[in-house]
Amino acid sequence: MAISPAESQQDQPHEASGSAGASSGASPRKVALVGLPNTGKTQVFNNLTGEYGLVANYPGTTIDIRRSLVTIKAQRYEIIDTPGLRSLYIHSEEEVAVRDMIFFEKPDIIVQCIDASQYKQSLLLTAELLELGIPMVLVLNAMDDMSRHGLGVDAAQLEKILAVPVAGSVALHGLGQEDLTAVIGKAKKGRRDVTYGVKIENSLRELALALPFDLEFKHKIATLLLQNDPFLEKFLENKFGTEKLAPARAVLNAVRHQVKGNLRQIISDRRNQWVDTVAAAVLKKQEGVRQGLSFHLTQASRQPLLGIPIFLFLMAVVYLAVVYVSGALDKFINFIAVTPVTRFITSFSLPAFWNDLLIGNHGILTLGLFNAICTVLPILSVFFFIFGCFEDSGYITNFTVLTKNVFEKIGIPGNAITSLVLGFGCKTMATLSTRSLTIRKEQYIAVFLIAFAIPCSAQLGISMAILARVGLSAFVIVFAALVVCEVGAGLFLNTIIKGKEASWFIQVIPPLRFPSLRAVSRKTYHRILDFLKEALPIFLLSAVGLFIFEKTGLLAMTKQAMTPMIVNWMGLPKDIIDVFLLALARREAAAGLILKMVDSGALTYVQSILAVVVTTISFPCVANVIAIGREMGWKTAVIMTALIFVSSFLLVGGLRWILVLFLGH
Amino acid sequence: MRNVEQDEHIEQLWYMKEQNVAAMDFLKKAMEHAFDPKIIEGLVEIGWVDMAADGLTVRLTEAGEARARQLIRAHRLAERLIADVLGGGDLEAIACEFEHIVSPELVNGICTLLGHPKECPHGMPIPEGDCCKLAHKSALSLIIPLTDLKPGESARIAYINCRNDQQIHKLEGLCIRPGVIVKLHQDFPTYVIECEGASIALDKGVVANISVWKNPRGNDLAGADKVPGKEAHPGALKKFVDAFFSRKTG
Repeated sequence: MAISPAESQQDQPHEASGSAGASSGASPRKVALVGLPNTGKTQVFNNLTGEYGLVANYPGTTIDIRRSLVTIKAQRYEIIDTPGLRSLYIHSEEEVAVRDMIFFEKPDIIVQCIDASQYKQSLLLTAELLELGIPMVLVLNAMDDMSRHGLGVDAAQLEKILAVPVAGSVALHGLGQEDLTAVIGKAKKGRRDVTYGVKIENSLRELALALPFDLEFKHKIATLLLQNDPFLEKFLENKFGTEKLAPARAVLNAVRHQVKGNLRQIISDRRNQWVDTVAAAVLKKQEGVRQGLSFHLTQASRQPLLGIPIFLFLMAVVYLAVVYVSGALDKFINFIAVTPVTRFITSFSLPAFWNDLLIGNHGILTLGLFNAICTVLPILSVFFFIFGCFEDSGYITNFTVLTKNVFEKIGIPGNAITSLVLGFGCKTMATLSTRSLTIRKEQYIAVFLIAFAIPCSAQLGISMAILARVGLSAFVIVFAALVVCEVGAGLFLNTIIKGKEASWFIQVIPPLRFPSLRAVSRKTYHRILDFLKEALPIFLLSAVGLFIFEKTGLLAMTKQAMTPMIVNWMGLPKDIIDVFLLALARREAAAGLILKMVDSGALTYVQSILAVVVTTISFPCVANVIAIGREMGWKTAVIMTALIFVSSFLLVGGLRWILVLFLGH
Repeated sequence: MRNVEQDEHIEQLWYMKEQNVAAMDFLKKAMEHAFDPKIIEGLVEIGWVDMAADGLTVRLTEAGEARARQLIRAHRLAERLIADVLGGGDLEAIACEFEHIVSPELVNGICTLLGHPKECPHGMPIPEGDCCKLAHKSALSLIIPLTDLKPGESARIAYINCRNDQQIHKLEGLCIRPGVIVKLHQDFPTYVIECEGASIALDKGVVANISVWKNPRGNDLAGADKVPGKEAHPGALKKFVDAFFSRKTG
């Protein structure tokens, strides 16, 4: 639903709109945007190329590598945006992709984004990048945050010490772009004065010589091998095969015997010393800066006393906004567009067939266009806007801190909470974000739970609207039912799946920022655009499909066949089949149809609840299933989808009987 | 009976075990002039060492390993003590003497004092003792786990007490490493610490691995002008010296 990473043109860069005409004729120079997570790389990418990659204030926003061509000062560049990287010594799959890109593609220039709140941590990466010997540029991003914390960086001094150009910026507000474009052509190799002591340096030279001849970045790879990087040996094996690596292995073992002590520690100690020296020379700290409101608010939001009320307050805001603002938008669009158009078409007195096709129950316009634009779009826009504010504020990680213990008791690992929250935006993206989970069992549980009972933005927004029509109590019941399903699934999977190893929870909490309206609006705009591009054709096609299904009598047959399950077990009217069929194609379309059925009184109180629950749980959208296939393998995707279908129909039936028992409908 | 030469051979065999080597040649080369084949024979007789019939491989028996473990533990704890508390110095020379004269109780005392470190200053593993398993604490402990701090307190990190390289590396990437001052923001519902300008949320298990210097004047380094570290522990050091050397002689 949101900016789909699948469309991020992994293999072919494409021309960014608005690039100047002059082409140098030579192949474009590759510029890799690298840096710690959440440092503004994608924002810089957006500013440079005029494209839009998803930007938000939590680590792990960018999942895939994204490319674009741009011309700066008559020179063509291929700008490459990457997921966050903490070190060339690898921790997780996402980071491997970045390092592989650097090693395989040998970018001509590396632009490292450095964020104010993780300044020294970024310098650790700088130390490693300088060792690659690739010309570099540093971008000091979020300079406004720095001054707010009473920190300052002497950019000129930094430039002098490292011998690479340094540009300042506040990428979120588009500031500093001229600095960067001015400086990008002047990227230089930089001064690498981190040394590891005579013994280790000699060993590195020896090891570098023993590595296969055609390997790039020998010095760097030698260093990583000495540090026992787990992913690197696999990388080298894949590239060169065991035989060619034999001499290097021999040298490696010899070195490990010779050098007393822990190599990894010695290397990192030296690097840390270098970082301390550079930071001391360049970082200016003002004394006596008091902690501002944002600090106290952040603290409050992650402790139960104030954190829970804050969370409930935010939920209430979302609910009210979706229901009332979108309700108003809906009426407005109805007034301007739907009613006039319908009247216009009716005035033609078309033969029944065409009338039906256009504005009948399964008409292209009714079920297709109007459903999308008038019913679904207003709600979606409001929801996107609010969710965008959430993402940009930095609240998500604080929420994780607040709720981690509770989630872990029900089988959801702390590291997975962010992915689950993202599921409320778009489940496909959330599934891809589980790549950061290093333990297979945890990733499995996270992926299943995301696909299961988490309503994505479309589902959530519209469900809120539906249930508001029926009554607040309905909303509460649905919410409770979904929570019970998720908790049950979490506990069940946790017991069933083997694997005792648990990951450690170590997460950087991003600074709490007031969301930039400009940035959120831009994000909402692109999300709406994506929705129209992806979903609208499917809305129209599925409306046509349903129309044909109906006219040929197949629909009636299907309804007859499924009556036992639908009517007897779940207690829903036969016409709900229309909803299910739409849900297979596009769940917003289904949700839009439910809304209409509620409005026309076709569903009772209990039935509305059941309809919302079943469409939320039972129908993983196609994109989501594909994402599961990509992350976990196709066998798993099929098993999960089957499990979801079966268990959800059972659960919904069970829910119906519970409601009947208690409410007596 | 403490036999220094025997001890030296046993220690060397332990080093070889750590590197997965069992060749007699390696032992000879490593020990140079100190090597004495008669000592090896003596050790075989006591049952602390196994030697192959052809005399080419040699390794410790279980009993021998137990003895070696004590020696290595004392040696490496001594190195930690000298490096961290006594301000550094010639680690090898001092530690080498130390391990032959201390009793296991004294060694455990030092271990408790230092907060049960898992690695020597060179990064080699320190074998565990009984005190480690029970995570004994003492009022005299100079180094305590970060979990002992209260929210709002800050302290300087002594070491990361964890044998998992990946975890140490991840923490280092966040600048959580020896010498750095960290502040504990909250311990409930999840630990949050501040380090070098960034707020970081951590599991209790990870926080327990971060060993920090206990500040004799209370753990608020924000206002302290003298920070505990290699130099500034005269009071605690004297207490330690008195307490343990009096136990040894008494």
